[in-house]
Amino acid sequence: MNEHVMHERHWSTHKERGSLFLMRLTAFCVRIFGRRLLAPVLYLIVLYFFVSARSARRNIRQYQTYLADWSGRDALRPTLGRVFGQFIAFADNLLDRLDVWRGRLRFEQVQLIDPSGVRPRLLRSQQGGRGEILVVTHLGNPDVCRAMAELGEQVPLNVLVHNRHVAQFNRLLGEAGDRSMRLIQVSELDTAMMMDLSQRLERGEWLAIAGDRVPLHDGRRVTVDFLGHPAAFPQGPWLLAGLLRCPVNLLCCLKVEGRYRIYLDHFLDAAHWERGQRDATIHAWVQRYADHLARQCLIAPQQWFNFYAYWQPAPLEEVRDAN
Amino acid sequence: MNALQQEIAQLIIDTLNLEDVTVEDIPPTLPLFGEGLGLDSVDALELALALQKRYDIRIASDSKDARQHFTTVANLAAFVQAQRNA
Repeated sequence: MNEHVMHERHWSTHKERGSLFLMRLTAFCVRIFGRRLLAPVLYLIVLYFFVSARSARRNIRQYQTYLADWSGRDALRPTLGRVFGQFIAFADNLLDRLDVWRGRLRFEQVQLIDPSGVRPRLLRSQQGGRGEILVVTHLGNPDVCRAMAELGEQVPLNVLVHNRHVAQFNRLLGEAGDRSMRLIQVSELDTAMMMDLSQRLERGEWLAIAGDRVPLHDGRRVTVDFLGHPAAFPQGPWLLAGLLRCPVNLLCCLKVEGRYRIYLDHFLDAAHWERGQRDATIHAWVQRYADHLARQCLIAPQQWFNFYAYWQPAPLEEVRDAN
Repeated sequence: MNALQQEIAQLIIDTLNLEDVTVEDIPPTLPLFGEGLGLDSVDALELALALQKRYDIRIASDSKDARQHFTTVANLAAFVQAQRNA
């Protein structure tokens, strides 16, 4: 049992295997063949991924086991069919993402669940309000940020990403005619980047950043309980929020009964810590975030698209670096 | 301690909310990080942000000197002065 825990590759070394390559390939094919013809091809590719990627199968099985244990719902316990179902959900997700990027999935088709009124604040930042942070997740469809940009009408949305393919993604976005959304590569927080982001907030722009993936070279991570087991989450979004002293909201987009739902939840009024309590404060935020994420997993159990080993305890060295 | 040094020491106290520290506790040559005042890398970011806003200067992150500027209040004051004169 130990060998596969020890030697899992980090997600970012997969080079967005499931994402960028398939994205470009499918983008090309959809243009040529259309979605209806493409879907079977994509299912075949995903079938191949399912058969060949033993570790991905094992990781999904682990996720399903933890989710079933944590929720006490035996119906979620992994079977071969349910694990495969999650891969198929990923294929559907890719097709949907293409629709989003091509502007086929319109805002009107998306159901908005916004009990705390995040959208009104988004719109208000057009009239001189300060921007805020959206923490997004790889549960469901993260590309819905695009629809989010539409939600905000003219409010610029800056999506902070870790990978080096930003230029390509921006080109894809440009092809899709998107002007209000911009990707910014952030490999680590430094003074110039902080200043730039701070100025964007002051101008009323919003920042989106993933809260559920730990960057490879950044030791700033925090281990909390997720679905009953310790998992590492990035500190980055929370450090950013605390340094910029801005409100934090959570964004998650799930497909429920064939329709997309955007869940917006207000999370922090103004992120702030007492200096001596910084680590404890961030830990508490991340634990609350992980609990929120766990509840959302139950809404769409098969849309967890982190195929790498999620529950990898942080090596001691990194824990020490982070402190 | 000159006026700018005093101002920066106060800015450090206010920004980082160092409750039990006064300007007199931060002599210009006291190391700010590690032993000395005991700041860390997140404090440095917070401080850099505050300095950039207060003095309308830019701190390039890739500059090798950036670290050097942040070692003491005296160095920070010299840096801010140089940026203002630039």
